[in-house]
Amino acid sequence: MSRISKKAMSVVGILAALSMVLAACGGGGPSAGGGDTIVIVIPEDPPSFNPAIADAGYDYLVMELVMLGLADMDPQGNVFPELAAELPTIENGGVVIDEENWTMSATWKLRQDVKWSDGTPLTADDVIFTYEAIVDPETGGWVPGIDYVDSMEKVDDYTFTVNFNTIYPGYLLLFGGEQAVIWPAHYCDASQGFISWDCGRQPLSSGPYVLQEWVNGDHMTFVRNENYFEPGKPAIETIVVRIVPDESVRKTMLINGDADLDMWTTEAVIADLQGEPNVVVEPSQTNRWVMRIFFNLAAKGTTDPEATPHPILSDVRVRRAIRMAIDVDTISEEFFLGFAQPVWTEFFREPYKCDIPRPEFDPEGAKALLESAGWTDTDGDGIRECHGCETAEEGYVMEMEFITYSDYGEPLNLTQQFIAEEMLAIGIKLNLSSVEGTVLWAYSADGGIEQSGNFDMDIWDDGYSGTDPNDYLWSYYYSEAATPDTGYNYGRWINADFDALMDEAYTLDEEYRKELFCQMAEILEDELPEAPLFTTVNADAHSVRLQGVQSSTNDIVTWNVADWTIAE
Amino acid sequence: MTTYVARRLLQTVGLLFLLSVILFALVNLAPGGPLAGQGQSRHIDPEKVELLKRQFGLDKPLPTQYLIWLIGNDWMKVDIDGDGVAEGYGTRKGVLRGDFGFSFRTRKPVLEEIGGRLPNTIYLMTVTMLAAILIAIPIGILSAMRQYSAFDITVTTFSFAGQAIPEFWLGLLLILIFYAWLKNPVTGDSLLPSGGMTSVGAVGFDLGDRVVHLILPVATGGLGWIAWYSRFLRSSMLDVIHQDYLRTARAKGLPNRLVIYKHALRNALIPLITLLALDLPYIFSGAIFVEILFSWPGMGRLYYQAALQRDYPVLLAVLIIGAAFIILSNLLADLLYAYLDPRVRYDQS
Repeated sequence: MSRISKKAMSVVGILAALSMVLAACGGGGPSAGGGDTIVIVIPEDPPSFNPAIADAGYDYLVMELVMLGLADMDPQGNVFPELAAELPTIENGGVVIDEENWTMSATWKLRQDVKWSDGTPLTADDVIFTYEAIVDPETGGWVPGIDYVDSMEKVDDYTFTVNFNTIYPGYLLLFGGEQAVIWPAHYCDASQGFISWDCGRQPLSSGPYVLQEWVNGDHMTFVRNENYFEPGKPAIETIVVRIVPDESVRKTMLINGDADLDMWTTEAVIADLQGEPNVVVEPSQTNRWVMRIFFNLAAKGTTDPEATPHPILSDVRVRRAIRMAIDVDTISEEFFLGFAQPVWTEFFREPYKCDIPRPEFDPEGAKALLESAGWTDTDGDGIRECHGCETAEEGYVMEMEFITYSDYGEPLNLTQQFIAEEMLAIGIKLNLSSVEGTVLWAYSADGGIEQSGNFDMDIWDDGYSGTDPNDYLWSYYYSEAATPDTGYNYGRWINADFDALMDEAYTLDEEYRKELFCQMAEILEDELPEAPLFTTVNADAHSVRLQGVQSSTNDIVTWNVADWTIAE
Repeated sequence: MTTYVARRLLQTVGLLFLLSVILFALVNLAPGGPLAGQGQSRHIDPEKVELLKRQFGLDKPLPTQYLIWLIGNDWMKVDIDGDGVAEGYGTRKGVLRGDFGFSFRTRKPVLEEIGGRLPNTIYLMTVTMLAAILIAIPIGILSAMRQYSAFDITVTTFSFAGQAIPEFWLGLLLILIFYAWLKNPVTGDSLLPSGGMTSVGAVGFDLGDRVVHLILPVATGGLGWIAWYSRFLRSSMLDVIHQDYLRTARAKGLPNRLVIYKHALRNALIPLITLLALDLPYIFSGAIFVEILFSWPGMGRLYYQAALQRDYPVLLAVLIIGAAFIILSNLLADLLYAYLDPRVRYDQS
């Protein structure tokens, strides 16, 4: 007996000793200090400092701390120069239009007082280097607008010209905005490639802060860049970005005063934070994200609205009836806690705001419209069937699947259920399902529901950043974007008039563009390929002591970090 | 015994190979893909897709992808720039030569990603398991010794509760009490930190700071184990206590303390040790809820994030390495059992 027992004890002992040894080797201690420090809490590590790779949002957040682009956009939608000395325009001769070939070129002048944090001046060579790294066919990447660039030429150390293959209204933010920055030619290793070079994770700064330490999954520490070109800025000495995955823990840290900023604060957290003396919730001045219903005009599982039209939704009267029966105000108040603003057109905000009257909430009108479209309930089960409708066979039941994405959370799930109840009240049966965003939006080969047309109706949110809607409108409403995997015209809405207007919109003539966009707004209102319902909140919560934070739908909240201060 | 071990190890290789095929297929065939949008953007732009597919190697048929994952592509010509002409050799070495590829999300080598998280998970989980064992063993002994006493009934009640309470609920509750409500009377700060492994601002190794950061995650993660191990030891003790040899030991006049610790406990521990060996894989895989709630940069979070974002290389590496750990832990449990109990024999010799 004793032989066994000694062994048993020794095994326990060895396990214990092993644990002690393993326990002793943890990660290294971080270092930051002083009262001149703010803490930003985010749920996951940024993939890198290069937002052009993964588009996670947290990469934009940290990129804004360390790197700059040629120009950026403020919350009101004004473009302002960052590394550029001034913005090239037609008026100052920086932009030259070739009407004959429908092309243009833009000549940029850089500030001459910008240095990388190692003291090397930032020059036109860095810009050309960045361009060449992005367009490299093997190791390159993609940033919005790069396809419109034909070539780039260096004029002198601080001047260069971008030649476009079209007239591109978004040219000011090509190497700027929230996605693109200028990379250091002398520091980044071009042979590692734009998408995977080490300088994407250990960046050299041209911006207000320098990355001092990054403990993966735990925190990042940034300290003031002594070589930053704006005198006296930034005011805050140290920024610690802590990775805190759980939303309620981040909220508690804000309330407790251990966190100074939590970005993309959700409706429920905003409601909880109201009345907290330490915390301010900063909503952005404009809204971007529009919750809308996508109608599939092609039969479920197909992508050709001509050959296989949707038996229910291909009739515009049905789409209108569905919109009429949705009580947007109740959804905003009950589920989005008053933070949702009703909208009914894509063109609801400056600079392209069009005068489209708000549709009425009118369930009785919706019923009448369905009756007149040939959808009636004759068997008394409360669900309409086709009796003389134009899009389906006699007796076809008005029943569809209604999908949303689970990642948004409770407000959207409740909205989905509420809409289904409202539809049932007018005789349309909706079967609900909720899927992950990666499944909903995946490419067709990956089983993406929208790209393969495998849906009837969906509800989710999108909207364009900044002030140039061209790319956004093209990808949602242009006929070519209805081809699977080329765009997001998931409803497969084909309209020649809209296409013609879209083709015209590639111009720098602002008055004319406004006119074109409002004509588009009319067509979209008549045809209703999507039903915009309301905007969702874009807000960031910060501590009372942190001053200067301005939430923006045009950029991430750290866009003006150099101007932030700590109040005593 | 050597033959037995050799046979088991050989089986392990075959099993892992089979598992890798199944896991590779499952991961790739699950709906959704790494090319769908994340975070702020609902999509990635169509212009970017072809490039990404090529860079990720997703442009090839699945069997080819598996082959490249397994044995690499540095021996074959590949089309790098997307013009349809194969021009140079690939750079992947394949899993068999220790190259698990790079993360789709961060473009860092997968082993580097895992290497950054694994020590943190091992650190947390060994402390948790150790604490659980050290608390569970006395509880188990005492409640077996005093079966149906007030102590036993109380412990039994708490054990069932401990096994039933979900970690995420317990963790939030503990954060609420010890971080949000209770304050240190001297400094006025929160009694315990909300999470992380160390305080931001701590310099060098500070044992006190580390311990303070361990209390809540270890309590949250350990409660279930304490309940489970103590219940297990209690019943295994009760089995042993009624054996004949214990009566003999008592009959020959041994003091009760010696009977319990020398004869009963040491035998009752054998099944528990087997159980512990089977639980060893948790030291690798971590505890997802604890890591999320307490901002602990460990393997569970890495895996969870990779699953949500369809970061196939990371997902596969964690799954395969995890599977290897489970298989080896099972082997270890079997061997320990044979070593500790001479009645167990695996081969005839």
